Amino acid sequence: MIKTLLMNIDEPDQVEIGRVRERGGYAALEKALRMEPAALIEEVKASGLRGRGGAGFPTGMKWSFVPKNSDKPTYLLCNADESEPGTFKDRKLMECDPHLLIEGMAIACYALDCHLSYIYLRGEFEFIAHTLQKALDEAYEAGILGPSVCGRDYALDIYLHLGQGAYICGEETSLIESLEGNRGYPRIKPPFPATHGFLASPTVVNNVETLCALPWIIANGSAAYAAMGTEKSKGTKLFSVSGHVAKPGVYEVEMGYPLMDFINNESGGVPNGRKLKAVIPGGSSVPVLRAEECEGVLLDYESLLKAGSMLGSGGMIVFDETVRMPEALSVIADFYAHESCGQCTPCREGTGWAAKILRNLIAGKGKRPDIDLLLKIADMMEGKTICPLADADVMPIRSFITKFRSEFEELCSN
Amino acid sequence: MPKLTINGQEIEVEPGTTIIQAAQVAGIEIPHYCYHPDLPVDGNCRMCLVEVERMPKLAISCATLATEGMVVHTNNDRVKESVRGVLEFLLVNHPVDCPVCDQAGECRLQDYYMVYGLHTSEIPLEMKVRKQKVVDLGPMVVLDQERCVLCSRCIRFFDHVTHTGEMQFFGRGDHVAIGTFENRPLDNPYSGNVVDICPVGALTSRDFRFKCRVWFLNSTDSVCGGCSTGCSMRIDHRDGTVFRLLPRRNPEVNKSWLCDEGRMSFHELAAGERVRRPMIKGRDGMQAPVVWEEAVRSVDSKLKEIRDNHGAGSILGFASPSATNEALFLFKQYMAGQVGVTRFEFRADSEDKSVTEQEDNILRRVDKHPNSMGAIKLGLVSKEFGGIEGAIESAREGKLRAGVIIYFKPLVRRPTDEEAESRVAELIRAVEYSVVLAAHKTDWLAEASVVLPVTAWSEENGSYTNYQGRVQLARRAVTPAGDMRPVWQVFALLLAVSGADISWSTAADVFESLTETEPAYRGITYDEARLPGALVADI
Ligand SMILES: Cc1cc2nc3c(=O)[nH]c(=O)nc-3n(C[C@H](O)[C@H](O)[C@H](O)COP(=O)(O)O)c2cc1C
Ligand code: SF4
Ligand code: SF4
Ligand code: SF4
Repeated sequence: MIKTLLMNIDEPDQVEIGRVRERGGYAALEKALRMEPAALIEEVKASGLRGRGGAGFPTGMKWSFVPKNSDKPTYLLCNADESEPGTFKDRKLMECDPHLLIEGMAIACYALDCHLSYIYLRGEFEFIAHTLQKALDEAYEAGILGPSVCGRDYALDIYLHLGQGAYICGEETSLIESLEGNRGYPRIKPPFPATHGFLASPTVVNNVETLCALPWIIANGSAAYAAMGTEKSKGTKLFSVSGHVAKPGVYEVEMGYPLMDFINNESGGVPNGRKLKAVIPGGSSVPVLRAEECEGVLLDYESLLKAGSMLGSGGMIVFDETVRMPEALSVIADFYAHESCGQCTPCREGTGWAAKILRNLIAGKGKRPDIDLLLKIADMMEGKTICPLADADVMPIRSFITKFRSEFEELCSN
Repeated sequence: MPKLTINGQEIEVEPGTTIIQAAQVAGIEIPHYCYHPDLPVDGNCRMCLVEVERMPKLAISCATLATEGMVVHTNNDRVKESVRGVLEFLLVNHPVDCPVCDQAGECRLQDYYMVYGLHTSEIPLEMKVRKQKVVDLGPMVVLDQERCVLCSRCIRFFDHVTHTGEMQFFGRGDHVAIGTFENRPLDNPYSGNVVDICPVGALTSRDFRFKCRVWFLNSTDSVCGGCSTGCSMRIDHRDGTVFRLLPRRNPEVNKSWLCDEGRMSFHELAAGERVRRPMIKGRDGMQAPVVWEEAVRSVDSKLKEIRDNHGAGSILGFASPSATNEALFLFKQYMAGQVGVTRFEFRADSEDKSVTEQEDNILRRVDKHPNSMGAIKLGLVSKEFGGIEGAIESAREGKLRAGVIIYFKPLVRRPTDEEAESRVAELIRAVEYSVVLAAHKTDWLAEASVVLPVTAWSEENGSYTNYQGRVQLARRAVTPAGDMRPVWQVFALLLAVSGADISWSTAADVFESLTETEPAYRGITYDEARLPGALVADI
């Protein structure tokens, strides 16, 4: 099993900077600091690393959008708001290897000529805040952060900011608003954060896992990273698997690893002799796959897209044959209705309406036309909102109903 | 300048123009709730989604810039379906209580439903989200949270126009509700504006609530009489009663706003008793009604008698900064041209020293009269005589014997009003002969030699010149019961009995003469004085 991100994840003392350094921690940062920032960006581009927050946007390219000669400071914001149902990979990284994140952030900041950076941590992760803050304090004490990073002529401060428990604050522009002290409302784009982000300044928002991938890439070279994975999906990816598997947890695999192998080997297979029914491969907002659709599918951006789903955040949810799909969908729909920021009409009204119809359906109070009404609501929401949260509700609604329609019909009186 | 095509129509617009603005130029209306020309763009309602060729998704026209070669469709099936969908969403949790809603008849939800919606509601009543129905937001505004379409216009108004930030959304998802922080009252001096910009019946006017169905109202274009800013407004009235004042958008003066005092100023006009008939004081010292003809003849001969006996310098022309330009012009024509008066003043209140002085940095000005600049431009102030105090002084010394005074109570009251009014009373007491043109009764009016009843603001056609020197037209909205005349007509009568050649039959005719005679107004046409108004020359 390949381990880049999770190299030291099982070491119980990996939260202590002394032990981290013994294991080679912060060596990649020292190496990066000896490079030119521009060369560092090229290195990340060459690695083929793509954003692990869900959208899969090439990281090096995102960095290169930041204007070079802006008279405003550049900010790097670490998106640690991980709240997508089924996703708990960032949590594992921050809990068990917080210095890896700090090292990754310092590398990114140096490449972006950023001197002030924030970790936006999900509100419910208060227990991780203590771990992270301790690691940050240690890094300051060790001279890794502060006025002269690792003794160099480069200053960097990293602050930890705890959110208030809103899923929408994981959307990057909403995160920025929240960090500025405003209501967590996604912004209309353009302008994009690269030019008008935090405090109207150039800003890069990167996911925890994306940033944690950087030390390995710098230490081992982009070629070594790009050698892993497939043609377009390079390197390794964390998958957090939950649901009906024997060994739920976070696993690292090379991009392009077969989905069924992942379920049967890493995840320990579907327990209790039951049959696999369906898989949500990338977090609750991606389309569900029927068991038969999973055959031959590889865990990379392209293969999952071809199969009709998406890699998303890598939050895999496995359903065995006992799962009643309308109930599962109702739980998901309730989540999006609850988490819609309420700013734009189709999402605010559509997510709530769909959730109510589904609750009615599973309570046995539904009617057949409700099923098509759900699909109509999905059409009315899709592609018409400020941020993709509405679409994140559309995908499960549409895929659950079209793929498991008979289960919905059975619930209806006429 | 980018050229684009909207619904097959090619138009050229200024760089930086958005699609919704470009469409407006082309006469194409794109439905919207949250977009407002005088507020920053928010893009939340999603009603203005249009199809732009080569863009994969529909684009919000309020935030998408018009660019060269862009091809836009605002009314094809895809766009109509999208608008219909948004409307259906907006009605999902809406209470549809139009029968008891003040907004009915001028509600964007109703209007667009008739054009784009016409669907049957698929959501049972008990499934709707319930919110608070009658929330008292302060002196001007009552809120119904259920009717709110969450467009954030009110929030943006208080954030970006008044910078007072009272309103905000609370909660999330379909439970989001509009409100004020900690239910604090909404009591800034511009709060009434949110009633106008609220596209639905969520924010209603405490003053106008349940008074009249809007389709029974007639609207008349006017200019606010509340201060020297001269905001463009509309008078909504029915059967001679004014029901409300609303802003007319004038980018050069008031954008889309009015201050609350100006908005409520019509109540001041309706309050108090009117002077209804011409009165002349008899030998017994008591005033008795006379017909206009008699009043006018008596005034003309008495003024000329005083002039002949004591010189024109013994007569004061005291104009009003609340009178129209037409009134002031004929006042001057008669007083200076026929009687030979040279001594003029128009300010009873020293607060009105500077017409341009701001009361705040939004709209309000310290001078609470709509036409001080008009009086100044006509030269109705003679500096050497020391204002109204100087006039009282010289009347007491016996040098000033007569005064022709136009007096209107200010529509927006100030603490100094009483003092100003008492100075006018003093002046009347100090001269031997006083002619007062007034709209409202005051206790000192009985002491005047002649009282001539005149129509007030909203009751006559005319123009006002605001602090910028911008002439704007106001039209007659209502007619008071009684034998009042517009001030300009009174002086037209006096000019006639005095033997002058008169040819005016309307206020517009007077305006034309004014622009021919007065250098500052030269060349301005009546049409130019409509929105946004024409600037007078700096003379
Ligand atoms: C509703 C919504 C929620 C999101 N939540 C997260 C999140 O919790 N963590 C995250 O990294 N990205 C999240 N994203 C994606 C971010 O907007 C952004 O694309 C990402 O942080 C970019 O980082 P990356 O390029 O490193 O992937 C979310 C997006 C949406 C639309
Ligand atoms: S799509 Fe939903 S979550 Fe996103 S901005 Fe609109 S209302 Fe908010
Ligand atoms: S109260 Fe009116 S203006 Fe304010 S958000 Fe609601 S609908 Fe918009
Ligand atoms: S600012 Fe002056 S002119 Fe404008 S509404 Fe108020 S009182 Fe009237």
